[in-house]
Amino acid sequence: MFKAIVSAETLTSALDSVSVLVDECKIHLEEDGLEIRAVDPANVGMVDLSLDAAAFESYEADGGLIGVDLSRLEDIAGMADSGQLIQLELDEETRKLHIQIDGLEYTLALIDPDSIRQEPDIPDLDLPAEVVLEGNDVNRSVTAADMVSDHIALGVDETEEYFYVDAEGDTDDVHLELTQDDLIDLQIGPAHSLFSLDYLKDMNKAIPKDTEVTLDLGEEFPVKIYFGFGEGQGQVTYMLAPRIQSD
Amino acid sequence: MEFATFADRAATIEAEPADLEVVAHVRDLFADAGSDLEIVARFAQGRVFPAWDSTTLDIGPSACYDAIARAAGTNVSGDDVEARLAEVGEIGDVAANYEFGGQQGLGAFTGGSGGNGGDLTVREVHEALADIAAAEGSGSQDRKVDLLFGLFNRCSSEEARYLARIVLSEMRIGVGEGTVRDAIAEAFDVPTDRVERALQVSNDYGQVARIARDEGIEGLDAMELDVGRPVQAMLAQTGTVTDALEEWDEAAVEWKYDGARIQLHHDPSGLAESDGSTVETRVFSRNMEEVTDALPEVVEFAAAHLEEPAILDGEVVAIDEDGSPLPFQEVLKRFRRKHDVAKAREDVSVRPVFFDCLHVGGEDLLAEPLTTRHDRLRSVLVDADADADSVADDEIEGLSLLWQTGDPDEIESIAAEALEAGHEGIMLKNPDSTYSPGRRGKNWRKRKPDVETLDCVVTGAEWGEGRRATFLGTFELAVRAGDDSEERRSAGSAVEPQTLETVGKVATGITDEKLEELTDLLEPHITVAEGQEVELEPAVVFEVGYEEIQSSPTYSSGYALRFPRFVGVRSDKDPEDADSLERLERLHDQ
Repeated sequence: MFKAIVSAETLTSALDSVSVLVDECKIHLEEDGLEIRAVDPANVGMVDLSLDAAAFESYEADGGLIGVDLSRLEDIAGMADSGQLIQLELDEETRKLHIQIDGLEYTLALIDPDSIRQEPDIPDLDLPAEVVLEGNDVNRSVTAADMVSDHIALGVDETEEYFYVDAEGDTDDVHLELTQDDLIDLQIGPAHSLFSLDYLKDMNKAIPKDTEVTLDLGEEFPVKIYFGFGEGQGQVTYMLAPRIQSD
Repeated sequence: MEFATFADRAATIEAEPADLEVVAHVRDLFADAGSDLEIVARFAQGRVFPAWDSTTLDIGPSACYDAIARAAGTNVSGDDVEARLAEVGEIGDVAANYEFGGQQGLGAFTGGSGGNGGDLTVREVHEALADIAAAEGSGSQDRKVDLLFGLFNRCSSEEARYLARIVLSEMRIGVGEGTVRDAIAEAFDVPTDRVERALQVSNDYGQVARIARDEGIEGLDAMELDVGRPVQAMLAQTGTVTDALEEWDEAAVEWKYDGARIQLHHDPSGLAESDGSTVETRVFSRNMEEVTDALPEVVEFAAAHLEEPAILDGEVVAIDEDGSPLPFQEVLKRFRRKHDVAKAREDVSVRPVFFDCLHVGGEDLLAEPLTTRHDRLRSVLVDADADADSVADDEIEGLSLLWQTGDPDEIESIAAEALEAGHEGIMLKNPDSTYSPGRRGKNWRKRKPDVETLDCVVTGAEWGEGRRATFLGTFELAVRAGDDSEERRSAGSAVEPQTLETVGKVATGITDEKLEELTDLLEPHITVAEGQEVELEPAVVFEVGYEEIQSSPTYSSGYALRFPRFVGVRSDKDPEDADSLERLERLHDQ
């Protein structure tokens, strides 16, 4: 059993943050909210999303599992204006999702969850450094690095106490420093890792520019990126595995 | 089997010059393949799916270069990979020169084994490739690249060499169909001819290898044609009436239709589709691609005329309103059509003509003589309500006529009739021959009237691949256009490049030795080189044979040569002496 009403904005944010990594996903319809976990085909980037029942106008579920084609569902959600409400109801018999936006009704065929890639184990990491910054600064970092390279190094200078971004191109380099004053918060610790911009650019697309984003970093460790959405009732966590730095 | 082991064996096979030793290596590979035998047998030939399966990875070379680039390291782009390819000439060598695995997987941080999920296995590669093939819809190209990147990222350099080649269907380690057949026979101690037969009916080297190993001769012999699964078409070589009659005394003579080869599979009780539904009829091209949807006339024909399961071999010909045949290119317009089939059908309609029958009502007929198969074909096609014996052959719809004779004069008159009716010529077949799928043997011969040759200017070429990387090949041909007047010619003015119009590319009929010679001849004339392609200043004239001139938007002349073949260099001719567009037009209109 699943029946819910949610604002178009909240649903779209949730779907977008998953679809940057995968085309299809499983959605857990838990009693207290939605849960999505997915990993990209190369097992490099993953997303863990939860959307609390409180984020919905109304929400009823009893722990079912459905598989969806994300781009389809995004297209449908895109039909709604941002203030509009979207009504979702699962037909257990036909295994289809009925979606209603005012007078518009859409019946979405679901995907067999068993045919979707297995959900990832979430690495339990103890990352020494924590950087809290605005989504806008993440965007600036990624955009600057992308101008010169396809990889980006993220790290913390423990002595000078700042967070930095490095990107080395064939000819040009980018270096960006953000001090305690530029950041919302900084927990100093040994941190330096290299990441693929292919992934980080996609993740960046889903990060709201005006939101507080936390990056947990270590040395040659995955980065954990997390932020809230849907008026704080939703939470997205990305993890991205590093690239070994050869030189 | 680990993919590294497969790559290692493939390298050994590739380096082995002696055919018998190659078979021995492939035999050992199969013997050691365990539960991955089916995949290994296909990979060895550079196949991902069985030959009968028209599933493709549907991933272009540039997507593959992007995946390699992403896995190869920081700041390597797909363009870099392509540039190296132009230099090195072979994608396997390019891939093997990069170091992969820099990107770690999340698995390395969950306490699981290995950085990226452990050593890559043959099965994992196959599963990922199947996922790549299955990805469709919006964004699927990106997803294909992601999946492929994931594979390359787990590869060693040697593994990457063979993965790249499998993905781009350029395996080329010297393992042909005959090698696989012999290796299966040796590995599992079964007779070669039984393996051969099983391969012909199943068209699946993986399945045959597995059955040979697990069920032996009995299993192989029990394999039969499967209605709905295409087999390779039997092919013809060119031949003459004299030779045919000398060898067989009598020949079966048929018209050679100017159409496209089809294989019709029909079962009134339904053929299973991959999505679980059923259809009654499936139609395949001679390359075993499914063309059912493009040819509704054939499906309708089957529904109207076939009452039992059958596999028929024939051609579709395009016809005008009077039912007269139209040129081959009109058929092609229909054949590759994926959209708006109904509209295309209004413009050009096609009809099937069948000349052979591989299976009827649960019985395989491959081992029956041609005359028996043709009789069975006749009885399948004849109207069930009619008195079968009193109906003349030419009144049976869809039946290709067959004459059996030892009289050369009669054959000539059949040939004359065929040409008059607008067909290509005649087929001569051994009346006692069995049907050998995929064989271009002496039992089927085609005889066509000779065609003229054209003298064309060479205006471009491409550097070859692999063994031929240092040779120019695939030569672009052009004819002269514009003012062709005597005055102008006698004035001795040179031909400007822009007065040349392209008509096609020739790549066949040239030996390696000849390629080397042609490369030496043409290389000084290169004006522009981009990647593997070069442009040439007009200097050299080739004499080329062809089967037909068809109008085509592909080349600037508006015409294309069908089956162009290199005959020789006309060193006695300059570009201004090459054939003109005018002559091409005249030949086309004839």
